Amino acid sequence: MMQLGRWLAAQVGRAALAAWAIASLVFLLSRLDTAKATDLLLGEADNLGTAVLRTDIDATQRQARQAVEQRLGLAEPLFYVTRTKQAGAISWHWHGLHNQYHQWLRGLLHGHLGLSFRDGQPIGPRWRAALAYTLPLTGLATLGAIAGALLVGLVLAGGPQATLSGWRAGLHTLLTGLQGLPLFALALGLLFVFANPDMLNVLPAYTGSADAEELWDQRALRLVLPVLALVLAVLPELALLLAHALRHELSTGYATTARAKGLSNSKLLRKHALPNAILPLLTALAGLLPTLVAGAVVVETIFALPGTGRLLAEAVAMHDYPVVVAGVLFSALARLLALALADALYAWVDPRIRLVP
Amino acid sequence: MKYLWFGWLLAAGISSCSLPANKQPDSTVRIRWNRDPENLSPLALPNQNAVDAATLLHCSLLQVDLSIGTYSPALADSLPQMQLLGDSLTHLRYQLRRAAAWDNGRPVLATDVAFTLKLIFCPGLPNEKVRAPLGFIRDIKLDPSNPRRFTLVCRGQAPEFGFASGDFPIISEDVLDPKHSLRQFSVESVAAANAAEPTLAALATRYQQANLEAHPERLPGCGPYKLAVWKKKQYLTFERKTHWWADNLHPAPLVLQAKPAKLHFSIIPDDAMATLALRRHELDVLPQASARDFKRLQESAAARQSLAFYSTVSYEVVTAGFNTRRPLLRDSLTRQALSKLFDPVRLLQATQLGQGQRTVGLVHPSDHRYYASSLPLPTYDLPQAQILLQRAGWQHRPTGWTRPAAGGQAQRLALMLRYRGDEPAFQTIALQFKAAATQLNIPVELRPTEGSSLTTALREGDFDMYVRIQKGNPFAFNYASMLHSRSVQEGNFSKFGTPATDRLIEAVATAETPDQKRQLLQRFQVMLQRQVPFVPLFFLPYRLVADRRLQNLYPSAIKPGYSAPTMTWATATAALAQK
Repeated sequence: MMQLGRWLAAQVGRAALAAWAIASLVFLLSRLDTAKATDLLLGEADNLGTAVLRTDIDATQRQARQAVEQRLGLAEPLFYVTRTKQAGAISWHWHGLHNQYHQWLRGLLHGHLGLSFRDGQPIGPRWRAALAYTLPLTGLATLGAIAGALLVGLVLAGGPQATLSGWRAGLHTLLTGLQGLPLFALALGLLFVFANPDMLNVLPAYTGSADAEELWDQRALRLVLPVLALVLAVLPELALLLAHALRHELSTGYATTARAKGLSNSKLLRKHALPNAILPLLTALAGLLPTLVAGAVVVETIFALPGTGRLLAEAVAMHDYPVVVAGVLFSALARLLALALADALYAWVDPRIRLVP
Repeated sequence: MKYLWFGWLLAAGISSCSLPANKQPDSTVRIRWNRDPENLSPLALPNQNAVDAATLLHCSLLQVDLSIGTYSPALADSLPQMQLLGDSLTHLRYQLRRAAAWDNGRPVLATDVAFTLKLIFCPGLPNEKVRAPLGFIRDIKLDPSNPRRFTLVCRGQAPEFGFASGDFPIISEDVLDPKHSLRQFSVESVAAANAAEPTLAALATRYQQANLEAHPERLPGCGPYKLAVWKKKQYLTFERKTHWWADNLHPAPLVLQAKPAKLHFSIIPDDAMATLALRRHELDVLPQASARDFKRLQESAAARQSLAFYSTVSYEVVTAGFNTRRPLLRDSLTRQALSKLFDPVRLLQATQLGQGQRTVGLVHPSDHRYYASSLPLPTYDLPQAQILLQRAGWQHRPTGWTRPAAGGQAQRLALMLRYRGDEPAFQTIALQFKAAATQLNIPVELRPTEGSSLTTALREGDFDMYVRIQKGNPFAFNYASMLHSRSVQEGNFSKFGTPATDRLIEAVATAETPDQKRQLLQRFQVMLQRQVPFVPLFFLPYRLVADRRLQNLYPSAIKPGYSAPTMTWATATAALAQK
């Protein structure tokens, strides 16, 4: 128990350190170009709509930029020290604690992720609100994909022969095809088939209803297509991997012995082959997070869900760096913790594996 | 029997999702927005949707009447009286409507307008975007004999001051400054003050604590609607106020009409999803429809039965610009020659399905007063391009086009064209240009660039040519931001400008009479065709698809392209008659 605690503390410590290093790097790189922040808030100056008798546009924009930089704290030095080159000589300037990086880091330790360049609003509540959509979506999709992968994997491996034939071969081909399909095509395909008046008009297209009194079952129906899209994006990889591992287990000596003793194929699969075949699935599950994050970007944009994927995609597209930095921090932490969880599960499933802090 | 439960579930799903075809409309109108307004503080308004929302929550002195495409009095009882003082000052005299009142019954007074202007110019507040276009207002003088009358003192003189001075939402002084602490300051002194000044700093703190960006309900406006629900990035619902001051006006001008009991804006970023939502009657209005979706819906018999289609020519013009500071493109003959390589006719067809309109310049073709219809439209003409290149001193050799340059080194005509990579229409234009240039043996490198990196590259002059949209409006004819030599670091991306053209642009902006403006704009359009800092390819269309039963949409070339507060549902008989 003591050993597990030490191992866990070491893992979390390493994850936090790595996430801080990654986020610091992105923060420092993003702040090198403060013009992006002012562009976001002021827009471009060449539109006729913004021009009322001001021939000195450059000066006006310059003043506006300075005001924005002052308000967002971008006028301060970026880091504790800066290097300047004057008359060929390099000199270093110490700025003390009044620098952008220190303010950001101090805010981070107090749970403040900073202000968005786009609207000057705090980022923390925005991420929390987005997570409230993404966690149920990706959580449901993960559960659905695992359940589906177990079911489909067992079905695919349950045939009488070592090679697939008949409908099992068809299912295998279908899964391989699904695996090769880009997620946006899959999501749009589902939308056009199940929410189209010209096809099967059975599921809602738009996930945000205007009706405040809408019942829970109708609200749940609005989530069917986004969850299904994510499940179908992840399921083939897991199911094919599991089926392959199961078939490998079935060809081993202990499986032959079990069969010789009269154990039915389905029992052999569930009771003996599955526990041994599940290890590669755990590795795949740890790697599922990036797929789900990437998938959430596509699915949330297409189905108009205000989750983290859409938040991150819009922030990247608009160069809203503080939101991007927060996203990097979250993703890095989640990814590292998922790897730690996979390690722990490995040890749990296979007692021969030892956790070393 | 085994799968009966599944059949039942499917049937339940179908019955709960499918809408009856003859659904009776209530007085709610559901409109698609492609992005969240993000910030509903009347001082910030970061995008068009935020501006539209502010128009529902607040009133301005003047607002655009989409039925006639001009500014009309809203809170003001008439357009301002303009008085020129000397050659550098303008006075604009306004009077507020007697009926105008806040929700608590207190009248809207000149002191509210003065307070709003002070907020706009107050340092330390997120007001930079709203402040810039109102920079010409120097101060406000209240009339001691009439609390509804005031005069705006403006720096400089221009006809556009008349409407530009009235286009900002008026904020209640009592809500943000109940002690009237700002009355001791003039607008000018607020603008010049330091953010640390105690009264202004206290105001800035109060403003930030109110968090109006996310909670606009904390600053009730005198507009017709209040915000009922805002689910960020999902939807906004605005509810009509039961008693609104303009209900007492008979007849109410169009800008003060508010018909729907509820306006529901669904945030749907994806076009395909928005089109399906419209087909499924989950939406009533789809503005800014893409050319492809508009055509697809028009071709569907089922969609035609329930939807109406509108298309107007917007004030957004697609241009292909030249970096006039590059030695290759410094002379106008070379630019003229290259302009002949664009084929606006085929490009308009290929990218906009023929909707939109070709143009000779930046003036909208529908503006018959000022549009120079006698000038030739830009055309595709390879032989003419060749002749013009030769006249510019270029010689055609097997290796390409070259000409001698200062210093003895020969110039070689090779171009780098930048455009936004996520815009298919720009890519089509770039590819068409490259194909035409290849026929003349001119190498062209295409550089699709991400949006904000493109702005940086254009600002820094890292391009030979670009393709982009320039946005205009029907009210202002001040081209300084895009063509004056003083704007080369900001909006004048073609880096164009000579003392003569600068003088002409300034004269156009300050022309006082329509006749004077017409003559100067004619000269301006001729100058643009001769100098060709950019080629105006065509004005983009605004496409609007809406439920057939909706009336009074006023499809317009002015953003947002429709009038939400005036929409009404036709009665069943009227809808049948329409069909």
